[in-house]
Amino acid sequence: MATYDLTPRIGPNLDRHLVFPLLEFLQERQLYPDEQILKAKIELLNKTNMVDYAMDIHKSLYRTDDVPQDMVDRRVEVVARLKALEDAAAPLVTFLQNPNAVQELRADKQYNLQMLNDRYQIGPDQIEALYQYAKFQFECGNYSGAADYLYQYRALCTNSERSLSALWGKLAAEILMQNWDIALEELNRLKEIIDSKSFSSPLNQVQSRIWLMHWSLFIFFNHDNGRTQIIDLFNQDKYLNAIQTSAPHLLRYLATAFIVNKRRRPQFKEFIKVIQQDQCSYKDPITEFLACVYVNYEFDGAQKKMKECEEVILNDPFLGKRVEEGNFSTVPLKDEFLENARLFIFETYCRIHQRIDMGVLFEKLNLNYEEGERWIVNLIRNSKLDAKIDSETGTVIMEPNQPNVYEQLIDHTKALQGRTYKLVGQLLEPAQAQPAR
Amino acid sequence: MASKFWTQGGSDTEEEETDIEDEIENGGAGETTAAAAGSRYLQTNASDSDDSDGQKRVVRSAKDKRFEEMASTVDQMKNAMKINDWVSLQESFDKINKQLEKVMRVTESDRVPNLYIKCLVMLEDFLAEALANKEAKKKMSSSNHKALNAMKQKLKKNNKQYEELINKYRENPESEEEKFEDEDEDEDEDESGSELEDPSQIAAESSDEDDEGEDVDDDDANGAWEKKLSKKEKLMDREFKKDPSEITWDTVNKKFKEVVAARGRKGTGKFEQVEQLTFLTKVAKTPAQKLEIFFSVISAQFDVNPGLSGHMPINVWKKCVQNMLVILDILVQYPNIVVDDMVEPDENETQKGADYDGTIRVWGNLVAFLERIDNEFFKSLQCIDPHTREYVERLRDEPLFLVLAQNVQEYLERIGDLKSAAKVALRRVELVYYKPQEVYDAMRQLAVLSEDGEKDGDETKVEETRGTSAFVVTPELVSRKLTFPENSRALMDILVTLIYKSGDERTKARAMLCDIYHHALFDEFSIARDLLLMSHLQDTIQHMDVSTQILFNRAMAQVGLCAFRVGLIAEGHGCLSELYSGGRVKELLAQGVSQSRYHEKTPEQERLERRRQMPYHMHINLELLEAVHLICAMLLEVPNMAANSLDAKRKVISKTFRRLLEVSERQPFTGPPENVRDHVMAATRALCKGDFQKAFDVINSLDVWKLLRNRESVLEMLKAKIKEEALRTYLFTYCSSYDTLGLDQLTKMFDLSDAQIHSIVSKMLVNEELHASWDQPTRCIIFHDVEYSRLQALAFQLTEKLSILAESNERAVEARFGGGGLDLPLRRRDNQEYAAGTAGGGGGRWPDLSYNQGRQGSSGRAAYTGGGRPLALGQASRDRSSQSRGTGGYSGRAGSGMRGYQMDASARMVSLNRGVRG
Repeated sequence: MATYDLTPRIGPNLDRHLVFPLLEFLQERQLYPDEQILKAKIELLNKTNMVDYAMDIHKSLYRTDDVPQDMVDRRVEVVARLKALEDAAAPLVTFLQNPNAVQELRADKQYNLQMLNDRYQIGPDQIEALYQYAKFQFECGNYSGAADYLYQYRALCTNSERSLSALWGKLAAEILMQNWDIALEELNRLKEIIDSKSFSSPLNQVQSRIWLMHWSLFIFFNHDNGRTQIIDLFNQDKYLNAIQTSAPHLLRYLATAFIVNKRRRPQFKEFIKVIQQDQCSYKDPITEFLACVYVNYEFDGAQKKMKECEEVILNDPFLGKRVEEGNFSTVPLKDEFLENARLFIFETYCRIHQRIDMGVLFEKLNLNYEEGERWIVNLIRNSKLDAKIDSETGTVIMEPNQPNVYEQLIDHTKALQGRTYKLVGQLLEPAQAQPAR
Repeated sequence: MASKFWTQGGSDTEEEETDIEDEIENGGAGETTAAAAGSRYLQTNASDSDDSDGQKRVVRSAKDKRFEEMASTVDQMKNAMKINDWVSLQESFDKINKQLEKVMRVTESDRVPNLYIKCLVMLEDFLAEALANKEAKKKMSSSNHKALNAMKQKLKKNNKQYEELINKYRENPESEEEKFEDEDEDEDEDESGSELEDPSQIAAESSDEDDEGEDVDDDDANGAWEKKLSKKEKLMDREFKKDPSEITWDTVNKKFKEVVAARGRKGTGKFEQVEQLTFLTKVAKTPAQKLEIFFSVISAQFDVNPGLSGHMPINVWKKCVQNMLVILDILVQYPNIVVDDMVEPDENETQKGADYDGTIRVWGNLVAFLERIDNEFFKSLQCIDPHTREYVERLRDEPLFLVLAQNVQEYLERIGDLKSAAKVALRRVELVYYKPQEVYDAMRQLAVLSEDGEKDGDETKVEETRGTSAFVVTPELVSRKLTFPENSRALMDILVTLIYKSGDERTKARAMLCDIYHHALFDEFSIARDLLLMSHLQDTIQHMDVSTQILFNRAMAQVGLCAFRVGLIAEGHGCLSELYSGGRVKELLAQGVSQSRYHEKTPEQERLERRRQMPYHMHINLELLEAVHLICAMLLEVPNMAANSLDAKRKVISKTFRRLLEVSERQPFTGPPENVRDHVMAATRALCKGDFQKAFDVINSLDVWKLLRNRESVLEMLKAKIKEEALRTYLFTYCSSYDTLGLDQLTKMFDLSDAQIHSIVSKMLVNEELHASWDQPTRCIIFHDVEYSRLQALAFQLTEKLSILAESNERAVEARFGGGGLDLPLRRRDNQEYAAGTAGGGGGRWPDLSYNQGRQGSSGRAAYTGGGRPLALGQASRDRSSQSRGTGGYSGRAGSGMRGYQMDASARMVSLNRGVRG
């Protein structure tokens, strides 16, 4: 099932540190040999400052207690650099750790800078040092420290580019600390900046959007409200364009979100078109499922895909999140997905049929007869389905829903009145305004 | 002596000329010239001298014949002059011009025969005289007078081309080789011109005798070939040959300046100049000087080509390429030499020798030269008849140019001039983009083959250079070998990336179009489409030059073909329908001139059009294109017609197709199909009845399919599509006759699998095209009767009209007050966003990824329609209104008056592309 694993495609769009959770997940699912994953981890860590961790992994990978010399060297170097940065940032850090002093800060950034410069001899150099220090902390894996420093740095920094980087850093740190609420705030802040800022080239802007979307996956699939918000974000024109051009694999997440989210029907239809169009650039069972149900009307295919989807969801680090309930561990998204997918198939099926054999239907829906009948009865009872069961022949009979001609006429004309009324109001408005003057 | 005969003939044809006499005379005159001409050629061949036998010869070569004809015409002209008959003079003049062409073609030389020049001089003088004589002018009959004036104009224009030769002739009527003939004719002229009394002629004659004497002294010992060299050259040769050690930079420079100064002046032979300069390159003292002179050589070589329409002689072109390569050699050898055309370099800059350390600036522009060479190559392909061997030979020179371009590009990249490098890269792209892999492979092989031949040529050349003691020896540093990637895509990618990075707007746009074309050629539809949409080229193409617009049309056509090949019928139709809507495909693709009945073109326009024609090997096969377009239209339109047959305001997908169908239906009797159109119409008739097999057979019998690379699979696809559309058409047409219809029956009728039929029918059901539903247990379709009563139908029509009314009211109000308060603002905002996106995209960057509009271009024709518009070449004003409608929707450039349209366009696009907008 490693064929549908997206880690190699997602990885390049993430921060080094953010890839760790993905690798952890893969290790757990055992899609790849352990060794390979451990090697990948070391590879990742080599560029970071988490040397101790790298050493541990190295030991477990090669089952030795020896550590290669370059790692040891690097450790020494890292520690030295940490010291140096700490010293450089010390004045500001001590200032910030003093609650009394911090209270002197005001909302006015210029004033703050002036004040720091005059009274504490903290100039731009120190502020810059704070940024470097925070970055270094992040590299070392001390995310909470990094997040704090970056927050304060942003309050003092005047360079917008730097401020943006700090924001990215903060977002990463919050994600890694799993503070989803704060992370979501940061995400929105970042999104606003990306959308409003004028980039030197549109390409950069698109790239930023792509990063943002990849990073947001962590938040959306962990935050309670994430599934609605992912649609809000991804389905915006600009973001959808970015997905289509540069990262079509993100369609999987958007598709899943659409399937588990019932209230998004109007956008859903549009989304189907996107899926249809992008079949050539990207497909996996989830998008193929949608294509089967809504583009080709191949119900047998859809049923097959549904089974594959289950696997895909379980193996996806974002979708396959486990929830431990007592001794059970379930994947809530999987159940929800299957339920909704089934409903999708059934709905479409009903739309084009007058009489359906229940046996065949339940087979298509991966249900047994009893269960299926109960399910349908429930649907009918909740008046979600305008049908009757003919239990003698074992069929469901749809009520023909020919729209009433009169209703149609009323529908067509209802809006006209309102529109005309508004129009007249608009016409009269300036006319009234004129005599008043 | 032949001349005597001629002279007689010439002198006594004043009054009573019978036809017979005329004939004799003509014949006689002809033969003399034949003799003369023959002698000339013999002389050059230096084989034997049988000029006196000329008269007796009966079998004459084509050359001789042509000369004969010409001479006879000259004679006629002389006669006409004598009687002051301008009308016949004018006729003869036209005739001689035509003959001149023939002569030039036969002799394959670029030299205009002296006879012709002499005739021109004669005419000029006579004309001057006639104009001076006012009294005589008054006496002339009106037709004669008119002819005189016409002649004046014509001659003036014509003579401009040969100005130099005429002047030379005037200075020196007897040019080297034609002494013999000239003498005769001079005599002749003296006699005939006795009435004219032309003092200049006489003077010229006397002077030329001196010249002649010199000439003879000079070079009687030399071979015939030597004669071609001018005196000056020889003098120079001698001067330099005398003592190589004495030659200094100064002498060379002085000479060089002298030669260059003579450029364009009267009496300077273009070839001569080239040769003089070439000689100078050999004696140049410093590399910089050599370079400078080489640049002049190339400029002079460009001068050789007379007009805009003609092309540079091929051998000159080849030499030009070689010279460019040598220039590159020099530049590579001495990296401190900088070529620049911005600053005027110091007078003595080139004096600095090879060991000079600092940078030496030399005036010149490599890119401009390269582009000129490419243009000449292109032009020559335009001019040469594509069905001749010559054309193929010419095509073989392409690798030669590619080598040069590759080297120039490498050099420019090395010195960091990426902008120019991009320009050069574009030239290379434009030579590669239209080649399918097979052709590309063939070219690679050719390059490898010709490499050996070229090497030999080069070696001899180098030796030659050494033989004449070149002072600055230039080793061949630049590779003469073409390095090609295996696959043309790889080459395109490299070049195109460079261009996107550092090219200017036009270069980028063109490269993008070539890229699109190339992708389409390789069946990469989705990539081609994405590039097209992302680049916003459809919006900006109107503001570009005609040749880019043609390229755009070509790309569109190719994308259309590609869509068809991969089975995307609607997309293919979207791309091609605009191309065919005006009936001017040929013109739009620059593949021939189409004569429009209503729009007479001025000669100027025609000439322009001729100049932008595509060479034959780049053509997109028009028959294939038409077949694809019509088949796409058929597949879309036939079910559409069946579905809406009863609908009053049926929507039409392809107007062109409908029109053709009407025409073919009106025919009382349909014969077997002959052309593409007939075939498609026959298929349409079958398809309307749901007879897919017959429809496919007819289409299959078209022989354009053999032009497709993956013919089998395309036909397979086509068959499947035809089946599908036949099924749909059948259902639409006969649904009213059925109550239920079994799946099995349909399977049998249309030779499709259960699943396919189920899927197709389901799609129709969901889209509410068909009022029916499945009955699963019995596997059949149950049709619902939804027939409205007349009253109900009328009521529906009324509501529709009402909503249209409301809409137009809204538009009116909006146009009046600007911002609407209803549901319009939302859409309008979108519109502005489009505009912003467009402006942004058009403004600066090509790979602009934020393409807002027409993202789902594949699903909507509208996305393409905007782009189809620029197709109106050179007739922009006529198509203006519809054009701005096309653009208005996207760019918002149209004023408030256009707002209604603007809305319309955007609304249409929205509805087509996005369905319901959130």
